[in-house]
Amino acid sequence: MRKSLMYTLAAGALFGLIGVSSAQAGEAEASMLANTCNGCHGPDGVSQGPAAPTIAGMNKFYLTESLKAYRDGKNRPSTIMARIAKGYSDSEIEKIAGYFSAKPFGRVAMQNTDVAKAMKGKALVKDLCESCHEKEGFAAEDYPVLAGQMLPYLRNNLADFKSGLRSIDANPNMSDKEKRKKKRTLAELRDKHGADGVEAVLQFYASRK
Amino acid sequence: MSNMNRRNFLKTTGGVALATGVTLAAPSLSNAAGAGKIVIVGGGVAGATTARYLKLGNKDLDVTIVEPNASYHTCFMSNEVIGGGRKLSQIEQTYDGLQKIGIKVLKDSVTSIDAAKKTVMTKGGSKLGYDHCVVAPGISFLSDEFANVGSFGKITHAWKAGPQTALLRRQLEAMHDGGTVAIVAPPNPFRCPPGPYERASLIAEYLQNNKPKSKVVIIDRKDKFSKQGLFTGAWKNLYGYGTDNSMIEWRSAASTGGIESISAPDMTIETLSGGTEKFDVINYIPRQTSGSIAKTVGLTNAKGWCDVDKTTFESKVHKGIYVLGDASVATKMPKSGYSANSQGKVCAAAIVNMIAGKPVGTPSYVNTCYSIAGKDYGFSVAAVYRNNADKDIIAGVKGAGGLTPGDASSEMRRREVEFAYSWYNNITKDTWG
Repeated sequence: MRKSLMYTLAAGALFGLIGVSSAQAGEAEASMLANTCNGCHGPDGVSQGPAAPTIAGMNKFYLTESLKAYRDGKNRPSTIMARIAKGYSDSEIEKIAGYFSAKPFGRVAMQNTDVAKAMKGKALVKDLCESCHEKEGFAAEDYPVLAGQMLPYLRNNLADFKSGLRSIDANPNMSDKEKRKKKRTLAELRDKHGADGVEAVLQFYASRK
Repeated sequence: MSNMNRRNFLKTTGGVALATGVTLAAPSLSNAAGAGKIVIVGGGVAGATTARYLKLGNKDLDVTIVEPNASYHTCFMSNEVIGGGRKLSQIEQTYDGLQKIGIKVLKDSVTSIDAAKKTVMTKGGSKLGYDHCVVAPGISFLSDEFANVGSFGKITHAWKAGPQTALLRRQLEAMHDGGTVAIVAPPNPFRCPPGPYERASLIAEYLQNNKPKSKVVIIDRKDKFSKQGLFTGAWKNLYGYGTDNSMIEWRSAASTGGIESISAPDMTIETLSGGTEKFDVINYIPRQTSGSIAKTVGLTNAKGWCDVDKTTFESKVHKGIYVLGDASVATKMPKSGYSANSQGKVCAAAIVNMIAGKPVGTPSYVNTCYSIAGKDYGFSVAAVYRNNADKDIIAGVKGAGGLTPGDASSEMRRREVEFAYSWYNNITKDTWG
């Protein structure tokens, strides 16, 4: 008992020192910064829907990249996020991204998805999306989690990829090979399977629990 | 943890620190000062958020909300109830979620607070001791300036949501096609600055679809208003604003010369330049001040609002009492639901840190506010704030925040409505659990 308390306290003291040295003087703690997002994105970044995306459980790199893209007005159309993201420094963005990436991606919103469309989407996803958005979109290691994400949000983003407002070419964090692959896949989805195919894929991801 | 226990704890940990060779500063010990007792006056957005984040920050805290109503109807989205797009039950929030995490909710009214003895007295006869007291009473009305308004049984205020919201809705449903609705918009400062104009928009939408010969007249007690360009743009696009057939008319204080009288028996409003005019429905939003308990306790300044420390929301009058939400002077945050939610988190973090013997920490604040002007037609204002200690204000970060652009595409306006509905679901979950 005494021994475990000792280790806990020693570890706490070390963390405290590390925390002080890495944070900029006078900058708010990660939880303080991140909690201000919850009013729109839900407690701990888990959205109650219908449209604002869940940001919990995303990989830290993707969250950082997204916030910076919103902030710098590059390649990420938004209604309100560009205005919000401009309020934060690089180091604050890192903290916010780190905070939400460590929270579990909750699937709590009631989404009215169409079973038949989702079934059709399952087959398309296996062919087209699985190699990047692995484990039927549950994986968060390299790309954003899609499983259980809000349907209107997914729909808006596919529309933005199509219109070019969200450009794969302009993404500084993808290799040329990745870009070619993603563009080819999206083109195949649209050209071969049409609007119904796109909707089926979205319904599949949104229906994942 | 009692004081005796705390001393023992420090003695023990001091020994451990020496033994391991790590220098251990007392303030870094979490919960060093033990659990605290916090009484929160008011279960609206500010009070409920503070309660929830206190408990999330330290589950051992003893947190009690004193609130006279069994549930809370949010003012945000109440304009959709008035316009018919939402039921009253869809803006009702219960206290079950807060009780589930161990927060006590006492259905009672606070009658006084003794800041020296640190006790809260209630109408029901309870006497509650506290270490920290959070006063979040929202607003009260200064409605005595117009003698014939009555007690809001015929003329509504509908600026605290609930039965008043339902009453205004029923009056609109009962009105004949060709009737005129008056909204008297209050002078600054008041709760929800864009609210009266969103209300006019959603009433106009209802009338357009159901009673197209009718109209809404806003008799303002100001010469400009929040999101004015976006609202008037929406009114032009949707309701013929600026034409002879406009469903919305806005009259500035300068154009009317001010209101002379309002009469519930006659359903009339008299202005200096316009004379006496009859209306079918009158929604009179009164001039506002802090919720009355703030004045009773002596927390208010000469203008009727409560001056606070911007990093903790502790009153500048009474130590150990915190005032936040609409009742506080939180310049430059607006009196909005999101501001109250954001302030609740800042106050809760400060109290949790103080109880743990840590510095209160650096605050961060945000406001986001959506308005819906009609079908698929939404817009927003946002700001990210930091404390500016020199100027004693909560200052917006330069270059951040601001309004939806006036030339936003119809698709972006449609998305703003989706995000407004998400905002509602998420902020209510974040506030009441």
